[in-house]
Amino acid sequence: MPDMVPMSVAQPQERQFNPYSDNGGTILAVAGANFSVIAGDTRQSEGYSIQTRYAPKVFRLTDKAVLAVNGFAADGNMFVKKVKQRLEWYRHAHSKDMPLRAVARLIQSMLYARRFFPYYVYNILGGIEEDGSGAVYSFDPVGSYEREACRAAGAASSLVQPFLDNQIYFKNQTPAPGTSHPAHLALTDVLALVIDSFTSATERHIEVGDGLEMYVVLAKGSPLQGLELVQGVQEMSTTTDGERVFIVRRNLKRD
Amino acid sequence: MSIMEYNGGSVIAMVGKDCVAIASDLRLGNQALGISSNFQKIFPVTDRIYVGLPGLATDVTTLRERFRYRVNMYTIKEEREIEPETFAHLVSSTLYEHRFGPYFIEPVMAGLSKTPSGGLKPFIAATDLIGCLNFAKDFVVAGTASSKLYGVAEGLWEPGLEPEDLFETISQTILNAVDRDAYSGWGCIVHVITKDKVVSRTLKGRMD
Amino acid sequence: MNTFADRFSTTGALAELRKAQKAADEEEFSDAMWGSEAGFGSLAKGVPTFSVPNIPDPTAFLRLHTDDHADPTCKIKISHGTTTLAFRFQGGVIVAVDSRATAGSYVASGTVKKVIEINPYLLGTMAGGAADCQYWETYLGMHCRLHELRNRERISVSAASKYLSNLVYSYKGMGLSMGTMICGWDKTGPAVFYVDSDGTRLKGDLFSVGSGSTFAYGVLDQGYRWDLTDEEAQELGRRSIYAAGHRDAFSGNTCNLYHVKEDGWKFIGNYDISKMHYDGPGNVLGATGGGYGYELRVEGLSSANPPVAAQA
Repeated sequence: MPDMVPMSVAQPQERQFNPYSDNGGTILAVAGANFSVIAGDTRQSEGYSIQTRYAPKVFRLTDKAVLAVNGFAADGNMFVKKVKQRLEWYRHAHSKDMPLRAVARLIQSMLYARRFFPYYVYNILGGIEEDGSGAVYSFDPVGSYEREACRAAGAASSLVQPFLDNQIYFKNQTPAPGTSHPAHLALTDVLALVIDSFTSATERHIEVGDGLEMYVVLAKGSPLQGLELVQGVQEMSTTTDGERVFIVRRNLKRD
Repeated sequence: MSIMEYNGGSVIAMVGKDCVAIASDLRLGNQALGISSNFQKIFPVTDRIYVGLPGLATDVTTLRERFRYRVNMYTIKEEREIEPETFAHLVSSTLYEHRFGPYFIEPVMAGLSKTPSGGLKPFIAATDLIGCLNFAKDFVVAGTASSKLYGVAEGLWEPGLEPEDLFETISQTILNAVDRDAYSGWGCIVHVITKDKVVSRTLKGRMD
Repeated sequence: MNTFADRFSTTGALAELRKAQKAADEEEFSDAMWGSEAGFGSLAKGVPTFSVPNIPDPTAFLRLHTDDHADPTCKIKISHGTTTLAFRFQGGVIVAVDSRATAGSYVASGTVKKVIEINPYLLGTMAGGAADCQYWETYLGMHCRLHELRNRERISVSAASKYLSNLVYSYKGMGLSMGTMICGWDKTGPAVFYVDSDGTRLKGDLFSVGSGSTFAYGVLDQGYRWDLTDEEAQELGRRSIYAAGHRDAFSGNTCNLYHVKEDGWKFIGNYDISKMHYDGPGNVLGATGGGYGYELRVEGLSSANPPVAAQA
């Protein structure tokens, strides 16, 4: 190549550095009185293409904590891996599982440690608190977090969240005179609402579909609350005398 | 910033059993600042057709007058009331005339159309801002809360709703959707169109 | 020129970052992470460490991916839009905030806790980046406790706010976004300091921060006096946040009200802004009864709002 001009000084050259991508999908978690449901679809996409129809976004951390991650899949998977590592170290140091509220604070500090190079991940942590109550913690990508009763995140969050406001918090609904709205919903009702939410989101959002994974965490000593009648339920917990984790899978439309 | 978010506002229409409903919020804003909580975006076209015009407020007023003029001309020429299908195409062609400098409005229509047997059939439609028609069988949405409206409507709507049930469904849909939208809200209005009457109700919504 | 200078300088924020990154690379996990000190993650070494992308201008990188004013389609959204206020008066400090978080036009949350309880005597408010406020005000809480242990005395509001102000100033230009009021009661009495991520630190009687602050100031300025009673002051805080929640699209949902007195802060209540519009804050001290809504005050009294009987 005769015309090529040699570079006079070798120095760092910056091109557009874009380490992020959006892999779609939606996650959702609902806290009950003594249980918690954490769900996510299994489609992973980039733009209009589906990369895989089965990429889990919900992960069991301990018998009392389940983490759902949504956003950039590579960051999400790495983040879950690092959280699991820190929880295992905690187990070695303290011979017990980290309490849920501590897991939440750990996740905050792990996310904020990347304040200047963020994980592009929206996290929802669900599980059972030390007092036996169901809990959901939701995070932004750089670690601000809050305990809530229900939260949807990801591509179809704006479709699902107002539906949940209406059906779980009974927003804009006036109870009949002399009655009141239930403080907590039954597990079977919550599962039905989660399935409805995802079928709705699948219908109207192209990045949602293929499969649905719902994790159910039950408080220590809680009855199965109708879970035994749900078809295809599988237990994921390591012991049956503490908090218990179950998974329920459903198909979603694949178009 | 999107030009649709300059004034804010949302509209939804739904099909029921021998009836249709159309609802909108009542907010008029100047970006984040709320200006009016009584800004009508839905207008009657005939006794049985209503059109909702969410988008840029100046174009809401202009288009409303334009549609009124064109519908009146149609009525005089044809010596009969316009049918919803015809009106939908009138809306579409009016918008497409401005293909390269459009009105920033995404109209939503709801009405009852005459069948050859003399009965009435529910009709809803929506277009984008340059007039691409969408004849849906269930519901249509438009405005700044459109994604939220889709989500709730998809979860609450079912076929064959009676007028009172349709009213409850569309009311719950719009109230909960606009509560998750910063640019819509400040009260809602709902019109339920049946064969012998139109029932309009103003809903108390969140005022923040 | 600035970027050029930054690239080769051995002092300044970027160089500090690069040094921090080098230290982190060499020993990503300290021994402390294994044991009970593992709680505060990036603080395992005593001072916070942060990962930084290995590129010449990490700040531009962060701005590219997080700044939603420059590019509304960018992927990482940091929530904006808030109304917060705090004022000093004869009876202490009133702190009132809204609870809405928005991402673009989407109301991401209506239940955000924008008052951060640093310790029983100190409150911080949250405007701007939620994570920045939460993290650094929690961190400030740790250092206030260390100050107590070292000096056998509570930290003054002035010192605490200066600690935060110096801290965020050391990160200036790197994209932190905070507008906060540090409120409390110390030896000098009630105190309010405004601290933001530019490094501004102001002592004052009355502040409001956020997109709805102009609306809040309108009500606040009109009703503020030093000799307000506790009840009047609480009502003024509520009424100001209501005004902002009503008019500002990015503020609303609920109002959280705190009162700081000599024996520390007290949470007064959570009030639904829409309920305040129609029915008022309920049976609480200082409330005059009835809703704050404008319609309620004009109904039947003007030609635009004719009496109900006339309409029929």
